[in-house]
Amino acid sequence: MSEENKKKELLEVKNLNVRYKSGQATVYAVNGISLELEKGQTLGLVGETGAGKTTIAKSILRILPDYAIETLEGEIYYEGKDILKLSDKELQNLRGHEISMIFQDPMTALNPVKTVSSQIAEGYRKHHGCPRAEANRKAVEMLEMVGIPGERADEYPHQFSGGMKQRVVIAMAMACSPKLLIADEPTTALDVTIQAQVLDLIKNVKEEIGTAMLLITHDLGVVAEVCDKVCVIYAGRIVESGSKEDIFDKPSHPYTRGLFAALPDLDKDVERLTPIEGLLPDPTVREDGCAFRSRCPHACHACREFDNELRELAPGHYTRCWRGLQDRED
Amino acid sequence: MSRVENVGAEKEVGKEKKHGGHGKMGRHGGRGHKKSSESLKPGSLAYIWHSISHNKGAVMGMVLIVLIVLLSILSPYLCRWGYAELDVLNAKSGPSLTHLLGCDELGRDLLSRVLYGARYTLYIGLAGTALSVVIGVTLGAIAGYFGGLVDSCVMRFLDVFQAFPQLILAMAFCAVFGSGLNNCVAALGLTGIAGFARLMRANILRIRDMEYIEASVSINCPTRKIITGHIIPNAVSPIIVEIAMSISRNGLASSSLSFLGLGVRPPYPEWGAMLAGARNYIRDCPHMVIVPGVFIVICVLSFNLIGDALRDALDPKLKK
Amino acid sequence: MIRYVVKRLVILIPTLLVVAIIMFTLMDFVPGDPAVIALGSGNHTQEEIELKRESMGLNKPYITRLGEYLGNLIFHFDFGTSIVDGTQIKTAISDRFPNTLKIALGSILVTIIVGLPLGVRTAVRANTWEDKISLFITLLLDCMPSFWVGLLLVLLFALKLGWLPSSGVGGLKYFVLPVIANSLGGLAGFTRQTRASMLEVIRSDLVTTARSKGLSEREVIYGHALPNALIPIITIVGMRFGQMLGGATIIEVIFSIPGLGPYLVNGIGSQDYTVVTGGIIFIAFSFAIIMLLTDLVYAFVDPRIKAQYVARNRKGGRKDE
Repeated sequence: MSEENKKKELLEVKNLNVRYKSGQATVYAVNGISLELEKGQTLGLVGETGAGKTTIAKSILRILPDYAIETLEGEIYYEGKDILKLSDKELQNLRGHEISMIFQDPMTALNPVKTVSSQIAEGYRKHHGCPRAEANRKAVEMLEMVGIPGERADEYPHQFSGGMKQRVVIAMAMACSPKLLIADEPTTALDVTIQAQVLDLIKNVKEEIGTAMLLITHDLGVVAEVCDKVCVIYAGRIVESGSKEDIFDKPSHPYTRGLFAALPDLDKDVERLTPIEGLLPDPTVREDGCAFRSRCPHACHACREFDNELRELAPGHYTRCWRGLQDRED
Repeated sequence: MSRVENVGAEKEVGKEKKHGGHGKMGRHGGRGHKKSSESLKPGSLAYIWHSISHNKGAVMGMVLIVLIVLLSILSPYLCRWGYAELDVLNAKSGPSLTHLLGCDELGRDLLSRVLYGARYTLYIGLAGTALSVVIGVTLGAIAGYFGGLVDSCVMRFLDVFQAFPQLILAMAFCAVFGSGLNNCVAALGLTGIAGFARLMRANILRIRDMEYIEASVSINCPTRKIITGHIIPNAVSPIIVEIAMSISRNGLASSSLSFLGLGVRPPYPEWGAMLAGARNYIRDCPHMVIVPGVFIVICVLSFNLIGDALRDALDPKLKK
Repeated sequence: MIRYVVKRLVILIPTLLVVAIIMFTLMDFVPGDPAVIALGSGNHTQEEIELKRESMGLNKPYITRLGEYLGNLIFHFDFGTSIVDGTQIKTAISDRFPNTLKIALGSILVTIIVGLPLGVRTAVRANTWEDKISLFITLLLDCMPSFWVGLLLVLLFALKLGWLPSSGVGGLKYFVLPVIANSLGGLAGFTRQTRASMLEVIRSDLVTTARSKGLSEREVIYGHALPNALIPIITIVGMRFGQMLGGATIIEVIFSIPGLGPYLVNGIGSQDYTVVTGGIIFIAFSFAIIMLLTDLVYAFVDPRIKAQYVARNRKGGRKDE
């Protein structure tokens, strides 16, 4: 996080705060998130629905809906430049070219009145200033790379199935060989049988191009397969972060442990899974202390006084719990 | 061309906190923080009332309508002049202290005439809408629920209604029924049937496939009970919005028909009829043209504002 | 595409036939004996009336008369003659309809030219003062009866300022006030509908996708959002056009333009039932054609609908191989 570190990191988010307005109320969506990502690395953002993961992703590209945003504060450094301070023009050069995004729902992400190839070619043409024909060739090439036959290039999105549409979205995101790919729950909206295919595809394409990736998911299985580093997000905060091994082998925060306990485990013969009881706290209310305490099995009144600072358990392994639990107790 | 249609549930995921407000807040309502509109359950009467009473436009619309209704009822007692009383000396005079809004060509007080005239507009608006709703909703419900041949027959019947521009259809009915207040109501009421029937049918089709209907069928609930007990209550909110809009539309249309001499005829002070009479004096007495028109605008605007507010209240998803 | 046109025509023709039958039947039941109306005012002996009935063919059974009427209508496009003055209705309509059409076309053009950019702009700049002013003005205009707007325009521009003629037909300037009066209300509604349609698309995922590709705001709005927003707008334009065709009738009465409006209104007033039947059937025909054209444009623009028919044709082609 120091000055010399900045050069090494591809992406560095510092103390990001995002608030939405919802009627009279303010929604505290992201509260002081900081994270780093090196070139070629994959960082997983894990958390349940409503934890603020998508908001973080969209902040990085600055594509949050203007009309709903109350505040967007903090610093997001991409190769040393603060994205939040870029001009519109610089931002447009960055989007799709250096950083691109795969969206969660391929059904709505594509434009229904344009052919898939034109939607892929568009961004490429914009960033490379090449003639239409060349961009179209590139689009067909990209489609073939994601496993869609080139002769389907002139079809419209409605002619493709969900999994195929997501392939199109991936082709679109990768067309300019970005240095950073943000994948926002890329498999959530797909059939289970197709999820694995699409995930493999993303992995392969990513390796081929050498892109760094920010993968957003609520699926720990996906994390295990793809990620190098993991951040667990709860109520707009990182509650635990570390390498994949740290998180999977030595989960510390009660929420992280809860997530693992809620996973089916084939090795153990248990009657029932252990869900995390309760719901996310009301995002329109800002309370002091640990946000997880109402659902935490270890909660006590000290949690109310919690300062919400990260504790370093081991080099690179942080937790936002004052207990700093070290060993698994299951 | 295969399509994976399992998006419905997952779709919400993408919204993350953006829409965190509406859906989930109900469950957090008990936390004791300030009661915002989000803390009420969408669809509950309390929520609808909260939403409408916090909408400036709707409040203005309701106040205006209440005012117009009260004034039109009380006009014989409030106004110094009867709506048909002649004050020949002041004929064609502009606004003054004796006649606040001036007089028409025969010396009748414009204020008492427009206030009394509100009765016609409100009556035609309400009665015409009531007629459209009763027939239209019934037809739509039958078509939507039974489907098949019944549906096709009803829809083809409605196609005939919709083969005309609305004003022309209303004129055609007026030609058949002749002029007069109740004939005008009948003409506008019939004209509005198709809109309500289509809306209701679309609603029913949406609701018919829901699982709670299947559940009712599976426990042998009689058809009539399913329609009255399950489908109608759930199909009602778009209809309510459309009712407000239909009243305002009928208000406009009744004045148009009366203006053409097809609706309410002079000497009755229907606003459109008053304008038809005033047309000949437009050069010398512009107030005769301006006054009734302003009242039409106020009346129509009020119902539109309420309709807009109802739409927002009944369908939180559409809210900005 | 041809399949689609054919399919639409197949639905259209019976509807129009039923429209003609219903209009004929309704007008047949209108109180008042056409023979008496045809003879004009004054007292007439029973004999005179009977003779007139005979000559007008009113003594034939209803079914025969309906058959003859439909036959003339379909094969000769003939609406019969006016019972009041005996003139050909077909000639009257062909003389008058161009005026009505001019006003309706002018109105829809003004609506599109002003309403579309305004709707798009206010959607893009939603909740700014510009948007709020536009919303307020369009809300007000939407509530004004067109004939009242017409009267106010006459008052201001014809009588007070003397810039434009207040009635009659002639050059282009005679159509300025009627077109404005006829379009303002619809224009306001159209602007709001365009804004709503555009706003929905602007806030949808596909626009976010377009932005994330690095397109400029202009490219996002006009290249991605607008084509999607236009699809529902096309239908709305068709509806508005029909509405303006209907509205033109009342505007013609105010501006004393010899179009279909005064013809119909006078016909209703003098119980000239053949004129009313003919005029209304003709307007229904024109309305149907407008809606048909709208649907065709719609199908052409939206690849989802277009594909249904193209794909079917392609299948047909494959069978031959």
